[in-house]
Amino acid sequence: MKIFVTGGTGFLGTRLVRQLLQQGHHVACLVRPNTDATAFVASLGAGASGVGRCEIVRGSLTNVQECGEELRGCDAVIHAAAAMTGGAPMLFMNNVIATRAILAMIPGSAVKRFVLVSSLGVYGAGQLKKGATLDETTPLDPAPHRRDPYTYSKVAQERVAWQARETLGVPLVVIRPGVIYGPGRGAMSSRVGLRVGKLLLRMGGRQHVPYTYVDNCAAAIAAAVTAQGVEGQAFNIIDDDLPTAKHVLKHHRRSVERLHVLPVPHWAIGAASGLCEWYHRWSRGQLPAVLTRYKSAAQWGRLRYSNGKAKAVLGWRPAISFDEGLRLSASCA
Amino acid sequence: MSRKLRVALVGCGQIADAHLQEINKIALAEIVGVCDRQVDLAEQAAARFDVPQAFDDLQRMIAEVQPDVLHIATPPHTHCGLAIDALKQGLHVYVEKPFTLDATEAEEIFEVARNVGRTVCVGHDQLFDPVWEACRARVKAGELGRIVHVDSIQGYDLSGPFGKAFASEPQHWVHRLPGGLFQNVMSHAMYRITDFVPDREPAIWATAFAPVSDAGTPTELRVMLRGQDVTAHLIFSSTIRPVQRVARIYGTKASLEVDLDGRTVRAFRKLTAPGPFAKIQAPARHCGEAARTLARHVLQFLRGDIHYFAGMNRLFTLFYQSILDNSTPPIPPREVCRVTGIMDRVFRAYQEETDKSRNQTGSDTRELIPAGLLT
Repeated sequence: MKIFVTGGTGFLGTRLVRQLLQQGHHVACLVRPNTDATAFVASLGAGASGVGRCEIVRGSLTNVQECGEELRGCDAVIHAAAAMTGGAPMLFMNNVIATRAILAMIPGSAVKRFVLVSSLGVYGAGQLKKGATLDETTPLDPAPHRRDPYTYSKVAQERVAWQARETLGVPLVVIRPGVIYGPGRGAMSSRVGLRVGKLLLRMGGRQHVPYTYVDNCAAAIAAAVTAQGVEGQAFNIIDDDLPTAKHVLKHHRRSVERLHVLPVPHWAIGAASGLCEWYHRWSRGQLPAVLTRYKSAAQWGRLRYSNGKAKAVLGWRPAISFDEGLRLSASCA
Repeated sequence: MSRKLRVALVGCGQIADAHLQEINKIALAEIVGVCDRQVDLAEQAAARFDVPQAFDDLQRMIAEVQPDVLHIATPPHTHCGLAIDALKQGLHVYVEKPFTLDATEAEEIFEVARNVGRTVCVGHDQLFDPVWEACRARVKAGELGRIVHVDSIQGYDLSGPFGKAFASEPQHWVHRLPGGLFQNVMSHAMYRITDFVPDREPAIWATAFAPVSDAGTPTELRVMLRGQDVTAHLIFSSTIRPVQRVARIYGTKASLEVDLDGRTVRAFRKLTAPGPFAKIQAPARHCGEAARTLARHVLQFLRGDIHYFAGMNRLFTLFYQSILDNSTPPIPPREVCRVTGIMDRVFRAYQEETDKSRNQTGSDTRELIPAGLLT
C-alpha cells in the first residue's frame, strides 16, 4: 500500500513510518518546508529496510491543499500530526481546521482508509464513577471547552472527522492512544501530577495511568490501516500492564531525575481544584484556572481502561511490557 | 446611553482571547457575538468565553446581533476593508495593532469615521498599562525636565507558538506585510517612542538583518529617529535574552527605565553624596525604589489585581466611555496616523539601506539581508 502520513517526523510518527516500511508499504511523509529531513531519514535508516520507499512531501498542515495530488493518489492516510502546546486558537488551527482540510480532499480520491490518531483524553472520563471501565462505548466529553485547550481541540477534531464520515463518506478509523511514552519522551506526564520547576504535585497515586509504549502504539496504527471491515470504528490503545501513578513516579525519580514531591491525596483533589477555580474567578484571572473540578475529575479519576476491542478486532498485541518500555526509555534518556 | 454597549469581535485568533477575557470584565459592555471565517475558531471562542453566538460570516453577525462596537482582530491586511465596512454600517470600531498596512489606509479609515460620526480606536494598549501611565505622570509632573532621548526595546521569541507558525509557513500572512514580522510586532516599541517624540516626520535611519547564527530572514531591526528636540532608538530583537519590553526615557534632570514585563520603573537622578558615598547613595536609592515597588506589587497580588492585559482593559474601558459620552477617543486619530506614517518610513528606510548595502558589498548579504519576508 502507499500511505500518506502526517506527523511522520514526530515522536510517534518516526516509529510508525519505520514499522510501515518494515511491513513493505510505501510511505509519503508530509514534512514542513523548513524542517531538515536529514535526521528523519537517518533515523529510519537505523532500523528499517526500504528507506527508498519513503518519499518526503513538502507542505504544512495549515496549507495541506498544496499536497493534494500526492495525498489523493495514496491508498491510505494516517493523520498523526498534532500540535500539543499553545493556546486554544493555535491548537484549533493545527488540529481541527487542518484536519477539516485534509478530510475534504478524500472524496473522489484513491484513499480507502483514513486513520485519525486521536487521544484517549477525548472521553468524558469525569462523568464515570470510581472504578468504572473506560472503553469505546464511553461518550465523548460533553463539555470539552471546560478541559485543557489540547483536549478540547482533540474532541473538536474527532467531531469534524465523524461528521466527514457521515457527510463525505470518509473511510474513517479512529485510534485513541493513551499517554505515549518511549525513548526521547519519558514516562512522566500530567496523569501523574503537575510540575512546578523541581516540585511535583503528585495527584493521587494509586490510580492506574493509561499509558502505551510508542512502538506498541505505532503497531496499532499500522494494524488499523490494513484491518478489514473496521471503518467507522474507534479503538483505544493502551498497554496491558498499566502502572499506577506512584509506580511511574518512583521509576522516574530513580532513573531520570530527582524531584521534590508534594502528594495531593485523592480525597483532596476535588477541594484543591474548587479552591483554584474560586481564586481564578475572585481575582478575575490573576492566576489561570490550572485546576478545576471538571478537569481534575477527567484527569485523575480512578478508572479501569480496556484495550479489548483493539486486541479482538485489530489483532493488536502490545509487544513491549511497561517495565521493558521504561527500561528502553531510560536507556536512551 | 444607559444600556450596555453591544460588542462583537471578528477574527478569533490568538489575541482575540485577550480581547474576550478583558471585555468580559468591563461593566460597560457585553459581548454579543464572535465571528471567524473558520467556524471552528469562532465556536471555540464562543464556548470558552460564554459568547451567545458564533458566526463565520461577518455581515450575518452584524445583521443578527446588531452590535454597537466591532473589535477587529483579523490579520492586518484585512483591517482597512473591515473597518470601513463596519463604520459605514454605523458601528464603532476597535482595530488591533498594526492598525493598517500603511498610512494611506489609516487616513481612509478616519475619513470614513468622520463622515459617519463613529469612533475608531487602535490597539496601542501598552500606553495604558499601569506602569506606563505612572511613567507618563512623572514626566508630566516635570520630574525628568525636558525629554532628550528615548530608547525602546521590543524582544520577540521566535520559538513561541506564533513565531513557529509563521516561520514554518512561507505563505503565512506575516510574510506579506510590507514590514513583515517587524510590522506585526513593532508598533508597541514605536508608540512608546512617539509618546515622547512629537514630530510628524522625524529623520529616520534603519537597518534590518538576520541573527549571526541564522543567515535566513531578517528578524533584527535597529532604528534611529531624530526629531526637532528628541532623539530615539528602537531595538527589535529576536535574540536578546531575556525577551523584554523596556523603555528608557532620558531628560535634562533625570531618566526613567520602564520595564513593562516586571511593571517596574527605575529612576536615575543626580547623585548628591560626595566621593565614594555616591557609590552607596545610588544603590540605596535603587533599593528603596525596588522595596516600594515590591510592597506595592505584593499588595496588588493579594488583592488579585495583577493582570497581564491591564492596559488593554483600561483602553477598552476608555474607548467605550468615549462612545457613551460622545467624547474624545483615548488615542486621537491624528496620533494613530502619525505612528503609522513613521512606521511606513522605517520600513522604507531599512529596505533602502539594505539595497544600498547589497550594491556596495556585492554578494555578501549575511549581515544586511534583503527582507525576504518583506517582498
